[in-house]
Amino acid sequence: MKNFDLIKLPFSKNNPILVQVLGVCSCLAVTAQLKPAVVMALSVTVVVVLANVIVSLLRNTIPPRIRIIVQLVVVSTLVVLVDQVLKAYVYDVSKQLSVFVGLIITNCIVMGRLEAFAMVQKPWPSVLDGLGNGLGYSVILIALGFVRELFGSGTLWGYPVAEKLGLYEIGYENNGLMIMPPMALILVGLIIWWHRSRNKDLTEQ
Amino acid sequence: MKKTFSNTYIFIYSAVLVVVAALILTVVSVSLKPLQTKNQQAETKQMILKTIGVEATRDNAAELYAKHITEDDGYYRFDGGIVLPLKGTGLWGPIWGYLALDSTSTVVGAVFDHKGETPGLGGEIATDKFAQRFIGKKMDSQAIHLAKNADHSNPYEVDAISGGTMTSNGVTAMLAKAYDDYSNLRKEATE
Repeated sequence: MKNFDLIKLPFSKNNPILVQVLGVCSCLAVTAQLKPAVVMALSVTVVVVLANVIVSLLRNTIPPRIRIIVQLVVVSTLVVLVDQVLKAYVYDVSKQLSVFVGLIITNCIVMGRLEAFAMVQKPWPSVLDGLGNGLGYSVILIALGFVRELFGSGTLWGYPVAEKLGLYEIGYENNGLMIMPPMALILVGLIIWWHRSRNKDLTEQ
Repeated sequence: MKKTFSNTYIFIYSAVLVVVAALILTVVSVSLKPLQTKNQQAETKQMILKTIGVEATRDNAAELYAKHITEDDGYYRFDGGIVLPLKGTGLWGPIWGYLALDSTSTVVGAVFDHKGETPGLGGEIATDKFAQRFIGKKMDSQAIHLAKNADHSNPYEVDAISGGTMTSNGVTAMLAKAYDDYSNLRKEATE
């Protein structure tokens, strides 16, 4: 596989959320607003890339019998680091993300990439693979956050779009369903539908 | 991976890995602690100000707090009343809050927060919607408690959170404790 493909494929044909259907839990939970979605996307990307590099560097020294434990130690160390940094520099966002920062540890994308890719690849391709998958995850999260905040709360990044446009005066109302997690699932379903209709080769026979 | 590893290697490897991880985490945790503490203190001040109807941002919280609140032996006095601190346990961890009472022990403002209650269930106690249910309730002759299908005309009863029974019980328990402390305080004041 060419290096460029490592970044490009997770965006479309091998998207972690749309095709591998990994990391859906956090994708439903933190996308009610744009800001936490972006922070979560960045955090996961950072963790996947760093974990991929570290595990890839260690790959020849890791005894196969304890490899999952070693991966877990690496991932959880990184996640605690991210959590501490968020608490120190973006306290409000870290409160909103609450338990989901800790849950990056169990985000299947991270462990999935470590086990499937970084354990058997050199560091540089691992960086690209982590970056590709992290960004592929980010694209979906940010798209969902955008749609859900805009239609659910009438704001974008906290800016009251609907109010400024004067939509409320002509009878517009926010869609309360948008801010509930089930709506995120429906939106992801719609995106997957659209995505499959564009990539016919992904459809199972 | 055809390479085999001896048990000794595996033991040493895991020991070294864990020690390195622990070292890194300790260094980071210690170095970021001051910033985090500062955020938490500002947040506490924001919460207390909110119960008396003053909206503060993280930056001006300390200034407004100094202006409106005087601390008094674990309580917070403001012009016209007192703010009771609440501390208790929810389902997964600590929950806390502040309850502002006027001179007739009627609630004028409340705010709750939690460490790790389930978002959307027990975590709802941190919302304004939940806190507003307390306004107008009384802490004079008995404590406020949470109940399913609460009677809204009863000044000691507030609607509990559906799906958050354990957290609601925790809120009731910490209100009861705060009431005991508060009635002791009032007794002392009249003696």
